[in-house]
Amino acid sequence: MPGRFASLSLQQKVSVTLLAVMAAMVLLSYIVLNTTVAPAFDNLELAAAEKNIVRAKRAIQNDMENLAAIVGDWAPWDDAYAYALGKNPGFEKSNLDIPTMTNLDLDLLLVYDAQGKLLWSYLPYNGETADPDSLEVFDSTHPKFERLVYHTDVTDHTDGLLLTGLGPMLMSSRPIIRSAKEGPIVGTMIMGQFLDSEKRTTLRERTEVSLTWHLLGGALPVDASLRNEIVAAGAGSFVYAATDSNIQAFGLLADLFGEPLMILQADTPRQISALGGSTVNGALMFLSAAGIVVAIVTWLLLRRIIVLPLERLANHITGIRESGDLSLRLNEERADEIGALAGQFDRMTLEVHDARRQLLDQSFKAGKADTAAEVLHNIRNAMTPLINGIDRLSKNFRFAGGLHIQQATEELADPACHPDRRGKLLQYIGSAFGHIQKTSEDAVNDLQVATRQAKQVEAILSDQERFANVAPIIESLELHSIIEEASLVIPNKDKPGIRLDMRPELKGFVIQAHRVGLVQVLGNLILNGYESIQRSQADSGSIDVSASLDEIDGQSVVRVTVRDSGCGFGEELKHKIFQRGFSSKQGHLSGLGLHWCANALAGMGGRVSAESAGPDCGAAFHVLLPGGIDGTRTVEKPSLSGRSTPAVERSGNAAIADFGEVAGGL
Amino acid sequence: MTTNDSNSIRVLIADDDEQILQAYRMAFCDNDATDLIETLGSLEAELFESHADGDDAPRFDVVACSQGCDAVSLVARAAREGRPFDVVILDVRMPPGIDGVEAGSQIRRLDPGVEIVFVTGFSDIPIHELALRVPPPVKLHYFNKPLSFMQLAESVAGMVRAG
Repeated sequence: MPGRFASLSLQQKVSVTLLAVMAAMVLLSYIVLNTTVAPAFDNLELAAAEKNIVRAKRAIQNDMENLAAIVGDWAPWDDAYAYALGKNPGFEKSNLDIPTMTNLDLDLLLVYDAQGKLLWSYLPYNGETADPDSLEVFDSTHPKFERLVYHTDVTDHTDGLLLTGLGPMLMSSRPIIRSAKEGPIVGTMIMGQFLDSEKRTTLRERTEVSLTWHLLGGALPVDASLRNEIVAAGAGSFVYAATDSNIQAFGLLADLFGEPLMILQADTPRQISALGGSTVNGALMFLSAAGIVVAIVTWLLLRRIIVLPLERLANHITGIRESGDLSLRLNEERADEIGALAGQFDRMTLEVHDARRQLLDQSFKAGKADTAAEVLHNIRNAMTPLINGIDRLSKNFRFAGGLHIQQATEELADPACHPDRRGKLLQYIGSAFGHIQKTSEDAVNDLQVATRQAKQVEAILSDQERFANVAPIIESLELHSIIEEASLVIPNKDKPGIRLDMRPELKGFVIQAHRVGLVQVLGNLILNGYESIQRSQADSGSIDVSASLDEIDGQSVVRVTVRDSGCGFGEELKHKIFQRGFSSKQGHLSGLGLHWCANALAGMGGRVSAESAGPDCGAAFHVLLPGGIDGTRTVEKPSLSGRSTPAVERSGNAAIADFGEVAGGL
Repeated sequence: MTTNDSNSIRVLIADDDEQILQAYRMAFCDNDATDLIETLGSLEAELFESHADGDDAPRFDVVACSQGCDAVSLVARAAREGRPFDVVILDVRMPPGIDGVEAGSQIRRLDPGVEIVFVTGFSDIPIHELALRVPPPVKLHYFNKPLSFMQLAESVAGMVRAG
């Protein structure tokens, strides 16, 4: 996978990374929302469910307290006290009537005397008056009868739920005492209210809680384990069960004796968790949408700010590698790091370009120096025996020329010559002829040596021809930079008097040439113009370098013109200026010479011509090279030397010399 | 090749080009020609009272070799035998062995008094560097080829006479 990722393009890597980050962000948001936000909503919902069941319990408790308050108001009352003692029979008629019971919302009223005898009962049930025995708890044999009917203290009371034969009831029992809360206890007053459907409706309306209750002995809406859990939790705790639509909160209700009696159920719709779920989903959707938008915006920004500039840089580098043209520039106008990188790369390529150019120069010069040194060494070595042979021959012949052979011969012919002198003369003549003979023999030997050494020199020169046949390196060159480099040949360029004008349009041209050679050619032409102005004795002068686009045989060429205001040349010189060894510099040769320039340009596929209106009228040299205007960099190298028509037009009486006419053999 | 004469100038020549060495030999040790010229010179002086060239031509005892290391060995051996060279003529470039400058430097250490002459067709070593490597400058000489070895022989004789 890392390898596959590494093989992707930068743009693909950015896209994949952004998608991965966005997916991770959505997944993380999903996890965070579902582990923190959603449970918070669930907790809120549970709290609401607990609150509902507490509210329901409190409502039942309130009803219980209201019932106890009514009993607490009626039982400690002197009229009831007298009634329990059998002294106030009108009490029934004035107080225990049905409207009063209805107003008090009572379902049960029982009045006992101190002996447990029922004095009064009120128990409406299904529109009729029911017998208290039907409640199945007021039988004297019932184990809870005494707790309900007998009180031992004036403050004693019994309140709570009680399961009767007619259903569960809220029931409150108080001792009947004097209004001053004093005894003795003369009876018991018991009031009750059924927990029936009507009561449940009333509680629902009051609490706004979906409230139900279930007797433990009856059918339960929960399974056995949940029932056991609810019973085990006791009356002070709650148990919850959740469905898709509701939170069911269960609480245990005990009777007035503390025995588990019924399960109270409060249903709370799952609106909060639904709201939480929709909130979480909404948040996830928002985060996803925001992530997509952020990813797209980031991708676009990265593409615009980083990827595309890097692509341009990569394409630029590829272009340089494929074309080898180190003069290309990125010119990224940015102030950020990529702009700095592009600037550094441009500077680096410029430095590499300069270094390569210097290396080429050095290689060219070093190659020339090595070749020159080798040739110098070999030729000088070859010339040494030859020169020494000639030197010896010269000495011997010079010595032989100084011999007095003729004089000695004449003396020998004289009969008066003394015999001793005759003998010495004969010895002298013999030695002289011996010397001449040896000189002749040495001459033959030395001439053989000279011949051999001359052949050796010829062999050395022939060996150099292989270098002469090596084609120069042709490259795309900016003309103006070549002219600027060539102009460095002028001594004291800033000296007043001679002005060098390099036309601005030079910057628009690109030519195909051998850089070092062209610099030397143009430098030579400029230097010729400079020296020509100096020779003209004029106080001032100018050298004008211009360029124009031309076309020869359908090929685009650049015409570089070096025009000076110097001495010029007349008709008699026009056929000589490109000849080997020609110089108009009156006795001294300098520079490389026009013959060399013509040869060098021919080697680059170019040519040169010269024109002048006559002596003291200045001269113009035209250099034609393959090339064109900037942006049309021609890579092919058309040769101009093979054309048959003159490269330069003839106008007026100007003397025009074309190297193709005069140099010959090019 | 060795030419032995107790009154002659002992010269060691090192050059890797046999043609050059042959030219040296012709210029420095053509004793037959020298004898003949001396004979003619003395007869001319006696018969015609004239003075011919070559009357006092120097004679050279020449030893030639083609490598720098050989030149060093020959100088060392000559010094051991008590017959040191008066002049050592060295080519600068003598492949494949050490060049003439290195050979000259070693020879100078072996024989501080010998005149050392560099003769070369081309040298990329500046003269001031030569003087540093083969001191002292007064016993160091430099000639470019091509040159007349007969004139060089006269210069060598002049060096020995002046030294």
